[in-house]
Amino acid sequence: MELLQVENLSFRYPKAERDALHQINFSVNAGEFILLCGVSGCGKTTLLRLLKKELAPVGEKSGRILYESKSLNSPEKAGFVQQNPESQIVTDKVWHELAFGLENMGAPTEVIRRRVGEMASFFGIEGWFRRKTDELSGGQKQLLNLASVMVMQPDLLILDEPTGQLDPIAAADFISTLQKINRELGLTILLAEHRLEEVFPIADRVLVLENGSVILDDKPREIGRKLSPCHPMFYAMPSAVRIRQGLETNDPYPLTVREGREFLERNFKGDTQMPTEPKLPEGDTAAELKNVWFRYEKDAPDVLRGVSLKVRCGEVFCILGGNGAGKTTALNVIAGLDRAYRGKVMIGGRTIKDYKGGALYRNNIALLPQNPQTVFVKETVRADLAEISEAMGIPKKEHKNHIEKIAAKLGISNLLDRHPYDLSGGEQQKCALAKVLLSNPKILLLDEPTKGIDAYAKQNLQKILRGLSQNGKAVILVTHDVEFAAEISDRCAFIFDGEILSADTPQKFFAENSFYTTAANRMARGLWKNAVTCEQVIECCRAEGARL
Amino acid sequence: MKAFANIHPLVEMTYFMSVLIVSMFFSHPVLQTEALIGGILFCAALQGKKAARDIGFYLTLFLMVAVTNPLFSHNGVTPLFFLNGNPVTLEAVLYGVLLAVTVIGVLLWCKAYGEIMTSDKFLYLFGKAIPKLSLVLSMALRFIPAYLRQSRRVSRAQKAMGLYSGKSITDRVKNQARVFIAMISWSLENAMETSASMKARGYGKKGRTNFSLFRFYASDGVLLCLCLLLFMIPIMGAACGITRFTFYPRVDKIETTPAAIVVYAAFGMLALLPFILEVKEAIVWNCYRSKI
Repeated sequence: MELLQVENLSFRYPKAERDALHQINFSVNAGEFILLCGVSGCGKTTLLRLLKKELAPVGEKSGRILYESKSLNSPEKAGFVQQNPESQIVTDKVWHELAFGLENMGAPTEVIRRRVGEMASFFGIEGWFRRKTDELSGGQKQLLNLASVMVMQPDLLILDEPTGQLDPIAAADFISTLQKINRELGLTILLAEHRLEEVFPIADRVLVLENGSVILDDKPREIGRKLSPCHPMFYAMPSAVRIRQGLETNDPYPLTVREGREFLERNFKGDTQMPTEPKLPEGDTAAELKNVWFRYEKDAPDVLRGVSLKVRCGEVFCILGGNGAGKTTALNVIAGLDRAYRGKVMIGGRTIKDYKGGALYRNNIALLPQNPQTVFVKETVRADLAEISEAMGIPKKEHKNHIEKIAAKLGISNLLDRHPYDLSGGEQQKCALAKVLLSNPKILLLDEPTKGIDAYAKQNLQKILRGLSQNGKAVILVTHDVEFAAEISDRCAFIFDGEILSADTPQKFFAENSFYTTAANRMARGLWKNAVTCEQVIECCRAEGARL
Repeated sequence: MKAFANIHPLVEMTYFMSVLIVSMFFSHPVLQTEALIGGILFCAALQGKKAARDIGFYLTLFLMVAVTNPLFSHNGVTPLFFLNGNPVTLEAVLYGVLLAVTVIGVLLWCKAYGEIMTSDKFLYLFGKAIPKLSLVLSMALRFIPAYLRQSRRVSRAQKAMGLYSGKSITDRVKNQARVFIAMISWSLENAMETSASMKARGYGKKGRTNFSLFRFYASDGVLLCLCLLLFMIPIMGAACGITRFTFYPRVDKIETTPAAIVVYAAFGMLALLPFILEVKEAIVWNCYRSKI
């Protein structure tokens, strides 16, 4: 039975030059799990919001949206979950948040009590039912947002990049909860996502959106086959699909790690050698931590326990680790935001205490925080960039030139006159990066740079960071994102319980891990232990290619 | 220390109001002493060992209040000694002590009130009278910590770029102003998403109800009646002039008529009610545990 039908839907924002959505046709059957993907700005959010009457944007709309062949749409029929877990929560207590929708519907206390109780136990919220919403982790917040939509018993669940702000473990939990809802309750789900590794294999159908049109609408396996490797969306595909695409065979497209592994082991023996490792840069020491200990308060437990590490100029150094392991704290200590109570922090050969006033942040060190929004304080990106140029003592006349040079380098020239908050996650990040780079740092620190940005923006970021390290800058980043770390870093380190456990090249580092490693490595590790990225696996396969 | 906190908010509110009214407006040594003892025992039961940390503060305050009155008030007919030519009278000293007992007593009761009457209970009680208010307050309580956290993040991000991060006052003021302006944009942005989330869940429809987790049990009813009864007795006492007590020019005798005894006993019981409940629960628990 068709639950939702979209016929010839076009939409144009006021004063826009072209349609945001153009002649969209698709239908959703009851019980289906549909994945909607596309690069940022392709119209995903506009489409999803048009499907929810209360959130529909203002503009020129043509075509029809039919629910069960009617154009009716009441709030309890379609539930909507947005990207930011934080800002969707309305009330201060978990139980109140769960009840909020039903209160609006005018449900009596007894009904609310029963439904809230039911949903809380389905989602495993009992343990924090009476907590304050502010004390929850990001993953818990997003689960709460989902549960408080589910208490209204919707027929259709619409989610707009719900895992964008979550770490990979919380994101995987969230996706598996969605799968559970779909399987056990038969609920129809329409999900827009840019992190596809987990969600791609479990979707019934995938819609690929490009410039406001649906270019592909098919089963995941077919999408893998049909999507051209030159398409920007291709980077977002699961590793199995990307590896298979790189090889000339007639096998069907694998989607999961298990299928990918079977595919590789069926076709290859793994007797070729992994190409030699790239050499490590041998520049001067840019930053060094010597036995650093840190805690937030006198009586609080230690967050860092004797951390030592050394990063050279021209090196990209990744610090990986779980939540609360001390990653961000280590970065803040290097950035001089937090002071170690024992041990030494050396920046450019001098201890950090020797830098007085703002000297540490002039031509020296710059930190891009986890949330790039926090970097901006002005009305336009240009004003923000001008502010820091002025602080750097660049004469006013040269500001324009100076700003445009960096804008061209990062590809943000067209964004300079926009308000920073109006940009997409990836754009915001590039602009924030421009701002911190204007202080001309030798050491660039990045906190979770891949959070909330799509695969295409990730590729872009990788290029930018590579360029910086080739110019002799040291780049230190902390991340959850093992795929990104494997591709970009010269060395990776794992931090656990406030200690750095190992620091090595990504090949050696990931080869030693069995769980904490890239999907490509998990597929290929039986054949080539050192192959970490999709490209390396493809390279190994090709070296052995004759057998195909 | 859970027994009293788990009673229905309406009973708790009535109880606190009764005790606070008597301890604030009745200046009678017996009633005030009862209120103070009740307050001490209640706070001790609520906070356990932590309560002991504040003893120093309360003792100092007690002495200060008690000493201040006789230093400035020279009424009364029984001079004890002369200070700079002014008499320090017995009556003024005793009145000072009563004032100190009252102040400490009220402070302790207010502290207990703060521990017990959390925001959600307050909202529940007054949200019914003004339905919108309860939601607005709840949203405010949600927004404030989020705002403070974001504002700290912006501040730190700006510091790490070395912008106005100096220690001089101009730098600090400038930095605060910049962060504040950025926070206005953030608040608006945040509010847009929150309102989308509210609309998506049907906010704005007619006939909104107010949900709460509280239930009114029969035992709450009994307690409410008891509480009102024990409160009415001192009020009646006041109406009959039993609780009148004056210090000047001469300290009155404490009345010991049967009616007065009833008033003392009633308020004493009221003041000790939460402590009795806590002790009762502790005993019940110990019995259960020994049976296991």
